[in-house]
Amino acid sequence: MQRRVAIVGYAQSEYQEDVPRTREDQVFDVVKAALRHAGILREEVDSVVTASSDFLDGRTISNVFLSMAVGAYQKDESKVEEDGTGALLYGLMRILAGTHDVVTVEAHTLASTINPHQILFYALDPLFDRQVGLMNDIAASAIQARMYMKKYSVPEEAVAMVSVKNLANAALNPLTHRKMPDLTVEEVLNSKIYYDPIRELMIPPITDGVCALILASEEKAREITDNPVWIEGVGTCVDSYLRERNLTQLESLQKAAAQAYEMAGIKDPYREIDVFEVSERFAHEELMISEALGLAREGRGQVLIEKGLTGLDGEIPINPSGGALSADPICATGLTRVIEAAKQIRGEADSHQILGVTRALAHGQFGICAQKNTVFVLGGDR
Amino acid sequence: MAYLKDQRRETMMVEGSWNIGAYRYKGSTQLQEYVDGLKEKKLIGSLCPGCGKVIVQPRNICGRCHRRMDKRMVVSHKGTITCFVISPPIEKGKYKIIGMDPVEAGIIQEGAILVPVFVRFDGADSNINTILLNSSPEQVHIGMRVKAVFVENPEGKLSDLEGVEPLKE
Repeated sequence: MQRRVAIVGYAQSEYQEDVPRTREDQVFDVVKAALRHAGILREEVDSVVTASSDFLDGRTISNVFLSMAVGAYQKDESKVEEDGTGALLYGLMRILAGTHDVVTVEAHTLASTINPHQILFYALDPLFDRQVGLMNDIAASAIQARMYMKKYSVPEEAVAMVSVKNLANAALNPLTHRKMPDLTVEEVLNSKIYYDPIRELMIPPITDGVCALILASEEKAREITDNPVWIEGVGTCVDSYLRERNLTQLESLQKAAAQAYEMAGIKDPYREIDVFEVSERFAHEELMISEALGLAREGRGQVLIEKGLTGLDGEIPINPSGGALSADPICATGLTRVIEAAKQIRGEADSHQILGVTRALAHGQFGICAQKNTVFVLGGDR
Repeated sequence: MAYLKDQRRETMMVEGSWNIGAYRYKGSTQLQEYVDGLKEKKLIGSLCPGCGKVIVQPRNICGRCHRRMDKRMVVSHKGTITCFVISPPIEKGKYKIIGMDPVEAGIIQEGAILVPVFVRFDGADSNINTILLNSSPEQVHIGMRVKAVFVENPEGKLSDLEGVEPLKE
Protein backbone atom coordinates (compact mmCIF):
# COMPACT_ATOMS: atom_id res chain seq x y z
CA MET A 1 0.00 0.00 0.00
CA GLN A 2 1.24 3.48 -0.81
CA ARG A 3 0.13 4.98 2.47
CA ARG A 4 -0.04 3.02 5.70
CA VAL A 5 -3.34 3.16 7.53
CA ALA A 6 -3.99 2.18 11.14
CA ILE A 7 -6.87 1.58 13.51
CA VAL A 8 -6.28 3.98 16.40
CA GLY A 9 -9.40 3.57 18.51
CA TYR A 10 -12.60 1.57 18.79
CA ALA A 11 -15.67 0.86 20.87
CA GLN A 12 -18.55 -1.58 20.94
CA SER A 13 -21.92 -1.56 22.62
CA GLU A 14 -22.90 -4.41 24.84
CA TYR A 15 -24.65 -6.79 22.44
CA GLN A 16 -28.12 -7.55 23.74
CA GLU A 17 -31.40 -8.89 22.55
CA ASP A 18 -33.72 -5.93 23.00
CA VAL A 19 -32.18 -2.61 23.99
CA PRO A 20 -34.82 -0.09 25.08
CA ARG A 21 -33.11 2.97 23.60
CA THR A 22 -33.25 4.80 20.29
CA ARG A 23 -30.85 3.97 17.52
CA GLU A 24 -29.39 7.49 17.75
CA ASP A 25 -28.74 7.23 21.50
CA GLN A 26 -26.91 3.91 21.09
CA VAL A 27 -24.83 5.06 18.11
CA PHE A 28 -23.92 8.32 19.87
CA ASP A 29 -22.58 6.53 22.95
CA VAL A 30 -20.44 4.10 20.94
CA VAL A 31 -19.00 6.72 18.57
CA LYS A 32 -18.25 8.97 21.52
CA ALA A 33 -16.51 6.04 23.27
CA ALA A 34 -14.46 5.23 20.14
CA LEU A 35 -13.29 8.85 19.90
CA ARG A 36 -12.44 8.75 23.60
CA HIS A 37 -10.55 5.47 23.15
CA ALA A 38 -8.50 7.10 20.39
CA GLY A 39 -8.12 10.21 22.53
CA ILE A 40 -9.30 12.59 19.80
CA LEU A 41 -12.16 15.03 19.32
CA ARG A 42 -14.86 14.91 16.67
CA GLU A 43 -13.27 18.02 15.14
CA GLU A 44 -10.20 15.97 14.18
CA VAL A 45 -12.27 13.54 12.08
CA ASP A 46 -12.35 14.27 8.33
CA SER A 47 -14.84 11.72 7.10
CA VAL A 48 -17.48 9.32 8.43
CA VAL A 49 -18.55 6.04 6.82
CA THR A 50 -21.42 4.03 8.27
CA ALA A 51 -22.88 0.60 7.55
CA SER A 52 -26.52 -0.29 8.05
CA SER A 53 -29.52 -1.51 6.11
CA ASP A 54 -32.55 0.62 5.29
CA PHE A 55 -34.78 -2.42 5.66
CA LEU A 56 -33.36 -3.35 9.05
CA ASP A 57 -33.39 0.29 10.17
CA GLY A 58 -36.97 0.63 8.94
CA ARG A 59 -36.39 3.88 7.08
CA THR A 60 -35.17 4.82 3.65
CA ILE A 61 -31.85 6.65 3.35
CA SER A 62 -31.44 5.65 6.98
CA ASN A 63 -28.28 7.69 7.53
CA VAL A 64 -30.23 10.97 7.22
CA PHE A 65 -31.23 11.08 10.85
CA LEU A 66 -28.05 9.38 12.06
CA SER A 67 -25.53 11.98 10.89
CA MET A 68 -25.63 14.02 14.09
CA ALA A 69 -25.30 11.03 16.44
CA VAL A 70 -22.41 9.54 14.48
CA GLY A 71 -20.53 12.85 14.51
CA ALA A 72 -20.84 13.53 10.78
CA TYR A 73 -22.45 16.97 11.07
CA GLN A 74 -20.90 19.26 8.40
CA LYS A 75 -18.43 16.56 7.35
CA ASP A 76 -17.82 14.23 4.43
CA GLU A 77 -20.17 11.29 5.02
CA SER A 78 -21.31 8.15 3.24
CA LYS A 79 -22.98 4.86 3.99
CA VAL A 80 -22.70 1.29 2.77
CA GLU A 81 -25.82 -0.85 2.69
CA GLU A 82 -24.04 -3.97 3.88
CA ASP A 83 -21.55 -5.29 6.42
CA GLY A 84 -19.30 -2.92 8.35
CA THR A 85 -16.17 -4.38 6.75
CA GLY A 86 -17.46 -2.70 3.57
CA ALA A 87 -17.58 0.61 5.41
CA LEU A 88 -14.05 0.00 6.68
CA LEU A 89 -12.90 -0.62 3.11
CA TYR A 90 -14.45 2.71 2.00
CA GLY A 91 -12.81 4.50 4.92
CA LEU A 92 -9.46 2.92 4.04
CA MET A 93 -9.86 4.02 0.42
CA ARG A 94 -10.57 7.61 1.47
CA ILE A 95 -7.28 7.72 3.38
CA LEU A 96 -5.34 5.90 0.64
CA ALA A 97 -6.68 8.41 -1.87
CA GLY A 98 -4.91 11.09 0.14
CA THR A 99 -8.05 13.18 0.53
CA HIS A 100 -8.68 12.37 4.20
CA ASP A 101 -6.52 11.52 7.20
CA VAL A 102 -8.88 10.49 9.99
CA VAL A 103 -12.09 8.52 9.39
CA THR A 104 -14.80 7.26 11.73
CA VAL A 105 -16.27 3.92 10.65
CA GLU A 106 -19.54 2.92 12.32
CA ALA A 107 -21.89 -0.05 11.88
CA HIS A 108 -25.09 -1.11 13.59
CA THR A 109 -28.21 -3.22 13.44
CA LEU A 110 -30.95 -3.23 16.02
CA ALA A 111 -32.57 -6.49 15.08
CA SER A 112 -35.28 -6.00 17.69
CA THR A 113 -36.73 -3.37 15.32
CA ILE A 114 -37.73 -6.16 12.96
CA ASN A 115 -36.77 -9.82 12.68
CA PRO A 116 -33.97 -9.82 10.07
CA HIS A 117 -35.00 -13.23 8.74
CA GLN A 118 -38.28 -11.63 7.57
CA ILE A 119 -36.27 -9.15 5.52
CA LEU A 120 -33.83 -11.66 4.06
CA PHE A 121 -36.64 -13.44 2.22
CA TYR A 122 -36.73 -10.36 -0.01
CA ALA A 123 -33.09 -10.83 -0.95
CA LEU A 124 -34.25 -13.79 -3.05
CA ASP A 125 -34.88 -13.57 -6.78
CA PRO A 126 -38.53 -12.41 -7.17
CA LEU A 127 -39.20 -14.29 -10.43
CA PHE A 128 -38.45 -17.81 -9.29
CA ASP A 129 -37.20 -18.34 -5.75
CA ARG A 130 -39.60 -16.01 -4.00
CA GLN A 131 -42.49 -17.86 -5.61
CA VAL A 132 -41.57 -20.85 -3.46
CA GLY A 133 -42.70 -19.56 -0.09
CA LEU A 134 -40.62 -21.91 2.01
CA MET A 135 -37.32 -20.62 0.66
CA ASN A 136 -35.52 -18.14 2.91
CA ASP A 137 -32.05 -17.41 4.24
CA ILE A 138 -32.10 -20.24 6.79
CA ALA A 139 -33.47 -22.76 4.30
CA ALA A 140 -30.81 -21.71 1.79
CA SER A 141 -28.09 -22.17 4.40
CA ALA A 142 -29.54 -25.57 5.26
CA ILE A 143 -29.18 -26.52 1.60
CA GLN A 144 -25.57 -25.31 1.72
CA ALA A 145 -24.88 -27.18 4.96
CA ARG A 146 -26.32 -30.42 3.59
CA MET A 147 -24.40 -30.16 0.31
CA TYR A 148 -21.16 -29.43 2.15
CA MET A 149 -21.63 -32.13 4.77
CA LYS A 150 -22.61 -34.74 2.18
CA LYS A 151 -19.79 -33.97 -0.23
CA TYR A 152 -17.04 -34.08 2.39
CA SER A 153 -18.59 -36.54 4.88
CA VAL A 154 -18.72 -33.95 7.62
CA PRO A 155 -20.54 -35.36 10.67
CA GLU A 156 -23.10 -33.10 12.33
CA GLU A 157 -21.08 -33.48 15.54
CA ALA A 158 -18.26 -31.48 13.92
CA VAL A 159 -20.71 -28.70 13.08
CA ALA A 160 -22.11 -28.76 16.61
CA MET A 161 -18.57 -28.52 18.01
CA VAL A 162 -18.27 -25.07 16.40
CA SER A 163 -21.26 -23.88 18.44
CA VAL A 164 -19.86 -25.49 21.59
CA LYS A 165 -16.49 -23.76 21.13
CA ASN A 166 -17.82 -20.33 20.21
CA LEU A 167 -20.55 -20.16 22.83
CA ALA A 168 -18.06 -21.23 25.51
CA ASN A 169 -15.63 -18.54 24.32
CA ALA A 170 -18.53 -16.07 24.48
CA ALA A 171 -18.81 -16.70 28.19
CA LEU A 172 -15.42 -15.00 28.55
CA ASN A 173 -16.46 -11.96 26.52
CA PRO A 174 -18.48 -9.46 28.56
CA LEU A 175 -20.01 -7.88 25.43
CA THR A 176 -21.79 -10.89 23.92
CA HIS A 177 -25.21 -12.14 24.95
CA ARG A 178 -25.41 -15.83 24.13
CA LYS A 179 -22.99 -17.37 26.60
CA MET A 180 -23.04 -21.12 27.18
CA PRO A 181 -19.87 -22.18 29.01
CA ASP A 182 -21.05 -25.74 29.65
CA LEU A 183 -22.78 -26.48 26.34
CA THR A 184 -22.35 -30.00 24.94
CA VAL A 185 -22.48 -31.38 21.41
CA GLU A 186 -25.56 -33.39 22.40
CA GLU A 187 -27.36 -30.25 23.55
CA VAL A 188 -26.63 -28.51 20.24
CA LEU A 189 -27.88 -31.54 18.31
CA ASN A 190 -31.00 -31.71 20.48
CA SER A 191 -31.82 -28.02 20.15
CA LYS A 192 -34.88 -27.01 18.15
CA ILE A 193 -34.72 -27.92 14.48
CA TYR A 194 -35.15 -25.04 12.02
CA TYR A 195 -34.41 -26.44 8.60
CA ASP A 196 -32.64 -29.78 8.84
CA PRO A 197 -29.65 -30.01 9.48
CA ILE A 198 -29.69 -26.50 10.97
CA ARG A 199 -30.72 -26.19 14.60
CA GLU A 200 -31.36 -23.32 16.96
CA LEU A 201 -27.88 -23.35 18.49
CA MET A 202 -26.25 -23.31 15.06
CA ILE A 203 -27.78 -19.89 14.24
CA PRO A 204 -26.91 -16.59 15.91
CA PRO A 205 -29.39 -14.99 18.28
CA ILE A 206 -31.32 -11.83 17.36
CA THR A 207 -29.00 -9.01 18.38
CA ASP A 208 -29.02 -5.25 18.88
CA GLY A 209 -25.55 -3.81 18.58
CA VAL A 210 -23.37 -0.93 17.51
CA CYS A 211 -19.62 -0.70 16.97
CA ALA A 212 -17.26 1.97 15.68
CA LEU A 213 -13.57 2.45 15.03
CA ILE A 214 -11.27 5.30 14.12
CA LEU A 215 -8.89 4.97 11.16
CA ALA A 216 -5.91 7.22 10.57
CA SER A 217 -3.11 7.73 8.08
CA GLU A 218 0.36 6.74 9.33
CA GLU A 219 1.36 10.29 10.14
CA LYS A 220 -1.81 10.95 12.14
CA ALA A 221 -1.77 7.50 13.71
CA ARG A 222 1.69 8.14 15.17
CA GLU A 223 0.42 11.39 16.68
CA ILE A 224 -2.70 9.77 18.11
CA THR A 225 -1.37 6.53 19.63
CA ASP A 226 1.71 4.55 20.59
CA ASN A 227 -0.15 1.38 19.79
CA PRO A 228 -1.53 1.55 16.22
CA VAL A 229 -3.01 -1.53 14.57
CA TRP A 230 -1.97 -1.46 10.91
CA ILE A 231 -4.10 -2.65 8.04
CA GLU A 232 -1.56 -4.87 6.30
CA GLY A 233 -3.84 -6.44 3.75
CA VAL A 234 -7.39 -6.33 2.46
CA GLY A 235 -9.40 -8.29 -0.06
CA THR A 236 -13.04 -8.36 -1.05
CA CYS A 237 -14.97 -10.47 -3.51
CA VAL A 238 -18.57 -11.25 -4.38
CA ASP A 239 -19.86 -14.54 -5.75
CA SER A 240 -22.79 -15.23 -8.06
CA TYR A 241 -26.37 -15.56 -6.94
CA LEU A 242 -27.38 -18.60 -4.90
CA ARG A 243 -28.50 -21.03 -7.60
CA GLU A 244 -25.53 -20.87 -9.94
CA ARG A 245 -22.94 -20.91 -7.16
CA ASN A 246 -20.80 -23.79 -5.96
CA LEU A 247 -22.28 -23.83 -2.47
CA THR A 248 -19.83 -26.35 -1.06
CA GLN A 249 -16.95 -23.89 -1.09
CA LEU A 250 -16.70 -20.18 -0.36
CA GLU A 251 -14.87 -19.28 -3.55
CA SER A 252 -15.33 -15.53 -3.13
CA LEU A 253 -13.74 -15.78 0.32
CA GLN A 254 -10.80 -17.76 -1.13
CA LYS A 255 -10.22 -14.92 -3.59
CA ALA A 256 -10.67 -12.19 -0.96
CA ALA A 257 -8.23 -13.97 1.36
CA ALA A 258 -5.70 -14.48 -1.44
CA GLN A 259 -5.78 -10.72 -2.18
CA ALA A 260 -5.34 -9.84 1.47
CA TYR A 261 -2.50 -12.36 1.95
CA GLU A 262 -0.66 -11.10 -1.10
CA MET A 263 -0.91 -7.50 0.06
CA ALA A 264 0.28 -8.45 3.56
CA GLY A 265 3.03 -10.70 2.17
CA ILE A 266 1.61 -13.81 3.82
CA LYS A 267 2.58 -17.16 2.33
CA ASP A 268 1.39 -19.52 5.07
CA PRO A 269 -1.58 -18.12 7.02
CA TYR A 270 -1.55 -21.10 9.42
CA ARG A 271 1.90 -20.11 10.69
CA GLU A 272 1.93 -16.39 10.07
CA ILE A 273 -1.43 -15.34 11.54
CA ASP A 274 -1.97 -15.71 15.29
CA VAL A 275 -5.73 -15.37 15.61
CA PHE A 276 -8.81 -15.31 13.40
CA GLU A 277 -12.09 -13.51 13.95
CA VAL A 278 -14.65 -14.63 11.37
CA SER A 279 -18.34 -14.02 10.67
CA GLU A 280 -19.83 -17.52 10.89
CA ARG A 281 -23.51 -16.79 10.45
CA PHE A 282 -24.19 -20.53 10.74
CA ALA A 283 -22.04 -23.07 12.57
CA HIS A 284 -21.12 -25.04 9.44
CA GLU A 285 -19.85 -21.83 7.83
CA GLU A 286 -16.91 -21.63 10.24
CA LEU A 287 -15.60 -24.92 8.85
CA MET A 288 -16.02 -23.64 5.28
CA ILE A 289 -14.43 -20.30 6.20
CA SER A 290 -11.37 -22.02 7.69
CA GLU A 291 -10.89 -23.88 4.40
CA ALA A 292 -11.34 -20.76 2.28
CA LEU A 293 -8.78 -18.95 4.44
CA GLY A 294 -6.27 -21.67 3.60
CA LEU A 295 -6.09 -23.17 7.11
CA ALA A 296 -7.29 -26.59 5.98
CA ARG A 297 -7.58 -28.47 2.72
CA GLU A 298 -10.91 -28.58 0.86
CA GLY A 299 -13.49 -30.36 2.97
CA ARG A 300 -11.11 -30.81 5.92
CA GLY A 301 -12.21 -27.91 8.10
CA GLN A 302 -13.75 -30.53 10.39
CA VAL A 303 -10.27 -31.73 11.39
CA LEU A 304 -9.41 -28.32 12.85
CA ILE A 305 -12.37 -28.34 15.21
CA GLU A 306 -12.09 -32.04 16.06
CA LYS A 307 -8.44 -31.66 17.01
CA GLY A 308 -9.11 -28.49 18.98
CA LEU A 309 -6.76 -26.42 16.81
CA THR A 310 -9.24 -23.53 16.61
CA GLY A 311 -9.88 -23.39 20.36
CA LEU A 312 -8.58 -20.69 22.69
CA ASP A 313 -5.39 -22.66 23.35
CA GLY A 314 -5.13 -24.12 19.85
CA GLU A 315 -2.61 -23.41 17.10
CA ILE A 316 -5.00 -21.17 15.18
CA PRO A 317 -7.68 -19.81 17.51
CA ILE A 318 -10.86 -18.88 15.62
CA ASN A 319 -13.37 -16.54 17.25
CA PRO A 320 -12.01 -16.26 20.80
CA SER A 321 -14.64 -13.51 21.20
CA GLY A 322 -17.48 -15.98 20.59
CA GLY A 323 -18.00 -15.02 16.97
CA ALA A 324 -21.29 -14.32 15.24
CA LEU A 325 -22.95 -17.30 16.93
CA SER A 326 -22.78 -15.44 20.24
CA ALA A 327 -23.98 -12.06 18.93
CA ASP A 328 -24.90 -11.08 15.38
CA PRO A 329 -25.81 -7.42 14.97
CA ILE A 330 -26.00 -8.06 11.17
CA CYS A 331 -24.29 -5.00 9.64
CA ALA A 332 -21.99 -4.61 12.66
CA THR A 333 -20.90 -8.26 12.80
CA GLY A 334 -17.90 -7.98 10.45
CA LEU A 335 -16.70 -4.71 11.96
CA THR A 336 -16.98 -6.30 15.41
CA ARG A 337 -14.59 -9.01 14.15
CA VAL A 338 -12.13 -6.30 13.06
CA ILE A 339 -12.33 -4.64 16.48
CA GLU A 340 -11.88 -7.99 18.25
CA ALA A 341 -8.84 -8.71 16.05
CA ALA A 342 -7.41 -5.26 16.85
CA LYS A 343 -8.01 -5.87 20.56
CA GLN A 344 -6.01 -9.09 20.34
CA ILE A 345 -3.07 -7.25 18.77
CA ARG A 346 -3.16 -4.48 21.36
CA GLY A 347 -3.52 -6.97 24.19
CA GLU A 348 -6.86 -5.47 25.20
CA ALA A 349 -9.04 -8.58 24.89
CA ASP A 350 -8.93 -9.31 28.63
CA SER A 351 -10.29 -12.74 29.48
CA HIS A 352 -10.37 -13.99 25.88
CA GLN A 353 -6.89 -12.63 25.07
CA ILE A 354 -4.62 -14.96 23.09
CA LEU A 355 -1.01 -14.62 24.18
CA GLY A 356 1.56 -13.11 21.84
CA VAL A 357 -0.68 -11.96 19.00
CA THR A 358 1.17 -9.82 16.47
CA ARG A 359 -0.98 -10.52 13.43
CA ALA A 360 -4.70 -11.17 13.21
CA LEU A 361 -7.31 -11.74 10.53
CA ALA A 362 -10.87 -10.42 10.50
CA HIS A 363 -13.62 -11.50 8.13
CA GLY A 364 -17.01 -10.04 7.28
CA GLN A 365 -19.72 -11.40 5.01
CA PHE A 366 -23.01 -10.26 3.52
CA GLY A 367 -25.74 -11.90 1.49
CA ILE A 368 -27.40 -15.28 1.57
CA CYS A 369 -24.92 -18.16 2.11
CA ALA A 370 -22.02 -15.68 2.46
CA GLN A 371 -22.26 -14.33 -1.09
CA LYS A 372 -19.86 -11.45 -0.44
CA ASN A 373 -16.75 -11.69 1.69
CA THR A 374 -14.20 -9.18 2.92
CA VAL A 375 -10.94 -9.99 4.68
CA PHE A 376 -8.62 -7.73 6.64
CA VAL A 377 -5.16 -8.70 7.85
CA LEU A 378 -4.08 -6.56 10.79
CA GLY A 379 -0.72 -6.22 12.46
CA GLY A 380 0.92 -4.34 15.29
CA ASP A 381 4.27 -2.56 15.45
CA ARG A 382 6.83 -5.32 15.62
CA MET B 1 -31.13 1.30 -32.22
CA ALA B 2 -34.46 2.95 -31.69
CA TYR B 3 -37.06 1.11 -29.70
CA LEU B 4 -40.10 1.07 -32.02
CA LYS B 5 -43.55 1.22 -30.49
CA ASP B 6 -45.08 -1.15 -33.02
CA GLN B 7 -42.49 -3.80 -32.15
CA ARG B 8 -43.25 -3.56 -28.46
CA ARG B 9 -44.63 -6.67 -26.77
CA GLU B 10 -46.01 -7.23 -23.31
CA THR B 11 -43.41 -8.39 -20.81
CA MET B 12 -44.41 -11.27 -18.59
CA MET B 13 -44.64 -10.22 -14.96
CA VAL B 14 -45.17 -11.96 -11.68
CA GLU B 15 -47.23 -10.61 -8.80
CA GLY B 16 -45.21 -9.58 -5.79
CA SER B 17 -45.90 -8.09 -2.42
CA TRP B 18 -43.63 -6.61 0.20
CA ASN B 19 -45.09 -7.70 3.51
CA ILE B 20 -42.28 -7.24 5.96
CA GLY B 21 -44.54 -6.79 8.94
CA ALA B 22 -44.53 -4.29 11.74
CA TYR B 23 -41.46 -2.41 12.91
CA ARG B 24 -40.82 -1.52 16.54
CA TYR B 25 -38.94 1.77 16.68
CA LYS B 26 -37.42 2.30 20.08
CA GLY B 27 -38.48 5.51 21.74
CA SER B 28 -36.55 7.54 24.18
CA THR B 29 -37.48 10.06 26.81
CA GLN B 30 -37.80 13.14 24.60
CA LEU B 31 -41.15 12.28 23.01
CA GLN B 32 -42.71 11.56 26.39
CA GLU B 33 -41.34 14.78 27.87
CA TYR B 34 -42.69 16.79 24.94
CA VAL B 35 -46.24 15.41 25.14
CA ASP B 36 -46.21 15.71 28.94
CA GLY B 37 -45.49 19.41 28.33
CA LEU B 38 -48.35 19.72 25.84
CA LYS B 39 -50.72 18.38 28.49
CA GLU B 40 -49.91 21.48 30.52
CA LYS B 41 -49.99 23.66 27.38
CA LYS B 42 -46.23 24.06 27.53
CA LEU B 43 -43.81 23.82 24.60
CA ILE B 44 -40.72 21.86 25.68
CA GLY B 45 -37.37 22.05 23.94
CA SER B 46 -33.90 20.65 24.61
CA LEU B 47 -30.96 22.89 25.51
CA CYS B 48 -27.44 22.08 24.33
CA PRO B 49 -24.93 22.74 27.11
CA GLY B 50 -22.29 23.31 24.42
CA CYS B 51 -23.70 25.85 21.97
CA GLY B 52 -26.73 26.96 24.00
CA LYS B 53 -29.15 26.25 21.18
CA VAL B 54 -32.70 25.28 22.09
CA ILE B 55 -34.32 22.69 19.83
CA VAL B 56 -38.13 22.37 19.79
CA GLN B 57 -39.39 19.62 19.56
CA PRO B 58 -36.62 18.24 21.79
CA ARG B 59 -33.80 16.10 20.48
CA ASN B 60 -31.33 14.11 22.59
CA ILE B 61 -28.14 14.82 20.67
CA CYS B 62 -26.59 18.04 19.40
CA GLY B 63 -24.77 17.22 16.18
CA ARG B 64 -22.80 20.49 16.15
CA CYS B 65 -21.26 19.91 19.56
CA HIS B 66 -21.62 16.09 19.52
CA ARG B 67 -23.04 16.27 23.01
CA ARG B 68 -26.10 15.06 24.83
CA MET B 69 -28.84 17.64 25.31
CA ASP B 70 -30.12 16.56 28.69
CA LYS B 71 -31.53 19.92 29.81
CA ARG B 72 -35.12 20.87 28.96
CA MET B 73 -36.46 24.39 28.41
CA VAL B 74 -39.96 25.82 28.10
CA VAL B 75 -40.29 28.23 25.18
CA SER B 76 -42.91 30.90 24.45
CA HIS B 77 -46.32 30.27 22.87
CA LYS B 78 -45.55 33.17 20.58
CA GLY B 79 -43.44 32.73 17.48
CA THR B 80 -42.65 33.75 13.93
CA ILE B 81 -43.42 32.03 10.64
CA THR B 82 -40.12 31.30 8.90
CA CYS B 83 -41.60 29.52 5.91
CA PHE B 84 -44.94 28.33 4.56
CA VAL B 85 -46.55 26.18 1.87
CA ILE B 86 -50.02 26.66 0.35
CA SER B 87 -51.76 23.37 -0.32
CA PRO B 88 -53.86 22.56 -3.38
CA PRO B 89 -57.64 22.33 -2.64
CA ILE B 90 -58.13 19.31 -0.40
CA GLU B 91 -60.05 16.55 -2.22
CA LYS B 92 -62.06 13.77 -0.68
CA GLY B 93 -60.33 10.40 -0.80
CA LYS B 94 -56.92 11.83 -1.65
CA TYR B 95 -55.28 12.38 1.71
CA LYS B 96 -54.98 10.42 4.90
CA ILE B 97 -54.15 11.95 8.25
CA ILE B 98 -53.57 9.46 11.10
CA GLY B 99 -55.18 6.79 8.96
CA MET B 100 -58.41 8.67 8.15
CA ASP B 101 -59.70 10.88 5.40
CA PRO B 102 -59.97 14.37 6.96
CA VAL B 103 -62.76 15.39 4.55
CA GLU B 104 -64.82 12.28 5.26
CA ALA B 105 -64.22 12.70 8.99
CA GLY B 106 -65.56 16.27 8.76
CA ILE B 107 -62.34 17.85 10.05
CA ILE B 108 -61.67 19.69 6.81
CA GLN B 109 -64.19 20.89 4.22
CA GLU B 110 -63.77 19.63 0.68
CA GLY B 111 -61.97 22.26 -1.39
CA ALA B 112 -60.38 23.90 1.64
CA ILE B 113 -56.84 25.17 1.30
CA LEU B 114 -54.38 24.47 4.13
CA VAL B 115 -51.27 26.41 5.02
CA PRO B 116 -48.53 24.22 6.53
CA VAL B 117 -45.95 26.45 8.20
CA PHE B 118 -42.56 26.36 9.85
CA VAL B 119 -42.72 28.33 13.10
CA ARG B 120 -39.85 29.41 15.31
CA PHE B 121 -41.23 29.96 18.79
CA ASP B 122 -39.60 32.75 20.80
CA GLY B 123 -36.67 31.24 22.71
CA ALA B 124 -36.18 28.37 20.24
CA ASP B 125 -33.44 27.95 17.65
CA SER B 126 -35.29 25.49 15.46
CA ASN B 127 -38.55 25.33 13.54
CA ILE B 128 -41.64 23.34 14.33
CA ASN B 129 -43.71 21.95 11.48
CA THR B 130 -47.42 22.73 12.01
CA ILE B 131 -50.55 24.26 10.40
CA LEU B 132 -51.67 27.91 10.24
CA LEU B 133 -55.24 28.28 11.54
CA ASN B 134 -57.75 31.16 11.49
CA SER B 135 -55.95 32.88 8.62
CA SER B 136 -55.83 32.65 4.83
CA PRO B 137 -53.33 32.08 2.01
CA GLU B 138 -53.61 35.81 1.24
CA GLN B 139 -52.59 36.84 4.76
CA VAL B 140 -49.72 34.43 5.43
CA HIS B 141 -46.20 35.81 5.02
CA ILE B 142 -42.68 35.08 6.22
CA GLY B 143 -42.14 36.97 9.46
CA MET B 144 -45.83 36.77 10.43
CA ARG B 145 -46.25 36.69 14.20
CA VAL B 146 -48.31 33.75 15.48
CA LYS B 147 -49.23 31.97 18.71
CA ALA B 148 -49.78 28.34 19.55
CA VAL B 149 -53.33 26.94 19.50
CA PHE B 150 -53.98 24.04 21.87
CA VAL B 151 -57.07 21.82 22.09
CA GLU B 152 -59.41 22.74 24.94
CA ASN B 153 -58.53 19.74 27.10
CA PRO B 154 -55.03 18.48 26.29
CA GLU B 155 -54.48 14.79 27.00
CA GLY B 156 -50.73 14.51 26.51
CA LYS B 157 -50.82 13.67 22.79
CA LEU B 158 -49.03 15.17 19.78
CA SER B 159 -52.44 16.35 18.51
CA ASP B 160 -52.82 18.57 21.61
CA LEU B 161 -51.05 21.27 19.59
CA GLU B 162 -53.56 22.03 16.83
CA GLY B 163 -51.44 24.62 15.08
CA VAL B 164 -50.78 28.34 15.24
CA GLU B 165 -52.92 31.42 14.55
CA PRO B 166 -52.12 35.07 13.84
CA LEU B 167 -51.06 36.99 16.93
CA LYS B 168 -52.58 40.41 17.53
CA GLU B 169 -49.86 42.36 19.38
